Amino acid sequence: MFENVGSFRNLRSEPSLGHRLTDRAWMAFLDRMSPDSQQNFALAFLSILFEGAPFILLGTLISGVIDVYLPAGTMDRFLPKNRVLAILVSGLLGIVFPVCECAVVPVIRRLVKKGLPVSCGLTYMLAAPIVNPITALSTWKAFEGQNALLIVGSRLLIGYGVAVLIGLIISRFSMRSILRPGLVDQVEEDTCTEAACCDHDHEDSHACGCGSSCSDDHDHGDRSERRIVAAFRSAMKDFIDVAVYFTVGVTITALFNTGIAPGAEWLDRLANHQVGAPFALMVLAFVLSLCSTSDAFIAASLDKFTWGAKLAFLTFGPMMDVKLLFLYQTVLKRRTIVLLALGLLLIIGAICIGWQELVPHRFSSHAISTMK
Amino acid sequence: MMKAKNRRILFSLAMLIWSGVMLYFYASGRISKYLAEEFRTIALLGGLGLAVVGLFNLLTCGQPAESCHDHGCGDCEGDHEKGDIHPLLAFVLMVVPLGLCVAWTKDDFTGQALSRKGLYDAPSRISSTPFLESLSGPITPETMQKGHQMNPDGYYQFSLMELFFSAGDRELQSALEGMKIETEGRWALEKVRNENGNRARLYRLFMTCCIADSRAVPIVLEFEGAPPDLTEEDWVKVDGTIHFPVENGASQPVLQVDHAESAEPPYEETFMRN
Repeated sequence: MFENVGSFRNLRSEPSLGHRLTDRAWMAFLDRMSPDSQQNFALAFLSILFEGAPFILLGTLISGVIDVYLPAGTMDRFLPKNRVLAILVSGLLGIVFPVCECAVVPVIRRLVKKGLPVSCGLTYMLAAPIVNPITALSTWKAFEGQNALLIVGSRLLIGYGVAVLIGLIISRFSMRSILRPGLVDQVEEDTCTEAACCDHDHEDSHACGCGSSCSDDHDHGDRSERRIVAAFRSAMKDFIDVAVYFTVGVTITALFNTGIAPGAEWLDRLANHQVGAPFALMVLAFVLSLCSTSDAFIAASLDKFTWGAKLAFLTFGPMMDVKLLFLYQTVLKRRTIVLLALGLLLIIGAICIGWQELVPHRFSSHAISTMK
Repeated sequence: MMKAKNRRILFSLAMLIWSGVMLYFYASGRISKYLAEEFRTIALLGGLGLAVVGLFNLLTCGQPAESCHDHGCGDCEGDHEKGDIHPLLAFVLMVVPLGLCVAWTKDDFTGQALSRKGLYDAPSRISSTPFLESLSGPITPETMQKGHQMNPDGYYQFSLMELFFSAGDRELQSALEGMKIETEGRWALEKVRNENGNRARLYRLFMTCCIADSRAVPIVLEFEGAPPDLTEEDWVKVDGTIHFPVENGASQPVLQVDHAESAEPPYEETFMRN
């Protein structure tokens, strides 16, 4: 099958070790992509894409409307002036705006551009997929009979706490060290533009502060139409930005899901390990990239694992997974994402292991897995 | 750099392609192989939403839109639409994997993926109690028989799910032990503990949200002699007597089959969490 590949390779002069390894990895991958694998991959890919695309669209539509209709700094005005209080409140915004992790990224991109402090934005981004009524309800349903109150309460509490903690840490850094440069430029450009040129009520006065005459004679009906066009364009642009990363994330998830990508069997061996199990399930959550509104149903069926491990799965997954890794790149610097991933892994792992030790023995994994 | 209008056309087309694929899968009914019921309507709405946004942007791609700079501070039209990556690359990344997958999919997993999804796992290792919550009060053979229809040949009709999850419940096992049962599922060859060559497997998939998160729900079928020559993954109806031998340290539902025949697939081929 790969004879032609081999002969093509021979045409090159002395391939380097790097090239040889890349070729070998590529050939191993091609070898795994048999017709059976293609069929499996396609099924998993399409199902995840069909499931996630509507939520991305919802998020980008909201973000498009925010872009055009929400004046800069509005969110900032809603939040308390005290930075810590603002972060604490941001962690609860998911109760009012319940969005899953796919939908929250485009929304947060737009809100940050509109002047929401980065620390508040990231707190909302991490907390909203967990601290929202839809996720709470689905977790409750999934864990009914398995001490749902403990699991739901712990999930909300730890999700909120971790998001606030990350927000507080982020608040100590400058925006430029956290966000991707392109986004920072846009935030600064928008802020500058709004401050210099649009320091007026769009509906009434056209007194412009930039020296140019803003006494343009467009009528408001025409303007309203142009605003709708702008909102749709903004939504499309955000959708494309997010959808590209989402597609890459779904591709990788589907490769793992169907066993084309190597590695996964080792998870089973860690199931009853008090320390290893939470980390193993966080890795699983990372790879599976499930939606926070439905991941509890998967966690509930992982009965080999301790409940602390399931809690880690339910808390870490909505904050960091393969697909989010790509989605976050539309907002955050790569270095920030890596640090965030490691931080979340360690913080959530430690909390879940400790939490499992602290709560009464009757809630132990064995009690839960055998409870009727 | 690509002109703003061309970029809009390209992005609109990408959205319309996604929309077209989603709407096609919904309209053709194939979506039921991919998504749980509640997500199908969401996919339809998503497909329609993508169509509206894509079409609107395509039809208005040349129109001016309002921006902050519309008040005389310069023309930035298009600046707010610049993406992180080249528009052509974005288009390719969105469309090519989707196109390949539409071409490759057969709306089903092969045995290779099914074995990863628990087709050959021991049932009690992955049983889960929430599915038994409908069973309240003491479980006896009488209550079990009362809750299930009997076919004309005297076999009680059970879903494969009930049999599968009975492996994790001693009370249920003792109520079912030795009962004559009819069930249906998909045919698979037995690849573990089949020294006598008289076993096969019957399975269905259990989906929570989408088929990617599905798990196989299997039971073992045991025959007097060699299993009949049925095609793998075909739908099969079987009659027999259920037993729960301990194999490899775990209770395993084993149906000693009296009769097996091909059957029509049910309306919903996959079990849903609801």
